[in-house]
Amino acid sequence: MPENTRPGQQRYVAPLEETPLQEVDQLDTSAPPTSLWKDAWRQLRRNPMFIASAILLTFLVIVIAFPGFFTDEPPRKCVLARSYGPAESGHLFGFDRQGCDVFSRTLYGARASVAVGVITTSLIVLIGTIAGAFAGFYGKLVDTVISRTADIFFAIPLLLAAIVILQVVTNRFPDRGFWGGVSAVVGALALFGWPQITRIMRGSVLEVKNLEFVDAARAIGATPRRNLFRHIIPNAIAPVIVTATVSLGIIIVAEATLSFLGIGLPKSVVSWGNDISAATILVRSGDHIQVMLIPAVALMLTVLSFILLGDAVKDALDPKARKR
Amino acid sequence: MWWYVGKRLLQTIPVILGATLLIYAMVFLMPGDPIKALFGDKPVNETAVQQLREQYNLNDPFLLQWLKFLQGAVTGDFGQSYTGRPVSEVVANAFPVTIKLAVMALIIEMLLGVTAGTIAGMRKGKLFDSTMLVTSLLVIAVPIFVFAFMAQLVFGVKLNWVSPTVGGDASFQRLILPAIVLGLVSFAYILRLTRTSVAENLALDHVRTARAKGLSDGRVTRVHVLRNSLIPVVTFLGADLGGLMAGAVVTEGIFNIPGVGNLAFQAVQRGETPTVVAVITILVLVYVATSLIVDLIYALLDPRIRYA
Repeated sequence: MPENTRPGQQRYVAPLEETPLQEVDQLDTSAPPTSLWKDAWRQLRRNPMFIASAILLTFLVIVIAFPGFFTDEPPRKCVLARSYGPAESGHLFGFDRQGCDVFSRTLYGARASVAVGVITTSLIVLIGTIAGAFAGFYGKLVDTVISRTADIFFAIPLLLAAIVILQVVTNRFPDRGFWGGVSAVVGALALFGWPQITRIMRGSVLEVKNLEFVDAARAIGATPRRNLFRHIIPNAIAPVIVTATVSLGIIIVAEATLSFLGIGLPKSVVSWGNDISAATILVRSGDHIQVMLIPAVALMLTVLSFILLGDAVKDALDPKARKR
Repeated sequence: MWWYVGKRLLQTIPVILGATLLIYAMVFLMPGDPIKALFGDKPVNETAVQQLREQYNLNDPFLLQWLKFLQGAVTGDFGQSYTGRPVSEVVANAFPVTIKLAVMALIIEMLLGVTAGTIAGMRKGKLFDSTMLVTSLLVIAVPIFVFAFMAQLVFGVKLNWVSPTVGGDASFQRLILPAIVLGLVSFAYILRLTRTSVAENLALDHVRTARAKGLSDGRVTRVHVLRNSLIPVVTFLGADLGGLMAGAVVTEGIFNIPGVGNLAFQAVQRGETPTVVAVITILVLVYVATSLIVDLIYALLDPRIRYA
């Protein structure tokens, strides 16, 4: 037991006059006022997590735009004679079961996976923001209709719902090509993904609409519609952006899972999901495990970058969690 | 309190009705004629087809089919599968296995997630915290089937600690590996939730007051920090039981477990609509029931929440 403790106490408690309260309470009046987003950006630039994920994502964009810059091997050039061949010069990670170049397929596979993630997320953010904002702002009947509809879609398990929808699509359009395949997966995931964003946006709007600046805007004659779109939504959207960044990564994982079940992207599309699931055939024996791990690691790094980006944005937008 | 319970119960009715209607609409769009498919290569007997269509209510308009389904479902009768077995019997065989698997996963993820999350939250920025954060991110960022295959390979095939697949014998020992794999992603979420929540609560005034009163670290953690930090975790766990049972599609497939995930996936592929509708409906009921229970547990954890 430390010294100076009073009876019943297990630690030393400083008397009031020893606490430098005045210093803590001092206001910094020299700092110029900044907006939420400007302040967040200043915060972001100093966050090493943000810089790391930004570098990875920039690299990803370059790979998606110019995959041919990194390899001369076309992803669909498959020669059975080199099935499971080891790495050689020009073929960094060797060959898969069909004798296709693993490195090349991993580079080209980024397109489909990221397309699914980005398009789905944009869709659910668009639907969720508008539905959530209307529910929170107008309340009453509008809120009841939107919230109960969201409840209905939220109650059905996403994975099973996507399986049912995609099985229909797979049976009707077996050869749906790249964009056909991507839009089917996007549609299935977005149809059951929007309620989450709607709920977050609704809660956020409910908080923001009672703040003083909204009253001020109304007092100088802003119409409800203008108030909602110009003042409330921009100030309430921060939590949505944070969730959206993280769910972008999770949607990429979901695409891989659906492709593994054989109903995601069509087998003809070069994607990480298809390549990982094709490689799982042999995995139980423990041979040629790198054929599965290379696209899996690429997928993991991409998802990680999005999650870290979301975390960094969250820290930057949330003054409470900020470290001084 | 009872008024609140009644109100919440009433609110679930439109959700259940809407969800079953939505499921019905989705499976109604399934292509192909399941009745004609029953004949296989043999010539189709039109009289028999008509008789069967009548038996499965397939000649009725869509909404009437749905109402007849609801009427049966209320009494636990989900009709017959196209192979002639009562759906309730097929589902009743598969559900206990999945419930066992999901509850095991839930307990594992809860124990590990809350413990690791609390320690990480209390030592924010230290080595344990960083290790746990990285681990949780990796778990979220890798598709679950990759983990399943790796676990099967390492623990089942190479080390031979457990049987790589489950099969007909869904015993505790055989389900432990699939349960860990199934609970991994939720473990990561619980860890992150607990960590953030504990770290936030540690900085609150009432915790400082408790410290200032001279309470021991253990009591401050248990009573003043953990109790409040667990509220978001409980919300997550409530929604997660249904999620785990649905997410078992992949795990059950890889480990060959005869549960509802496997059943639902195969039923979707075969166009076995009565089974698909029954399984998804029951999962919706599980979700609705657990969210209701979670709302009521709130009151126990947070005395500030009082139901008017």
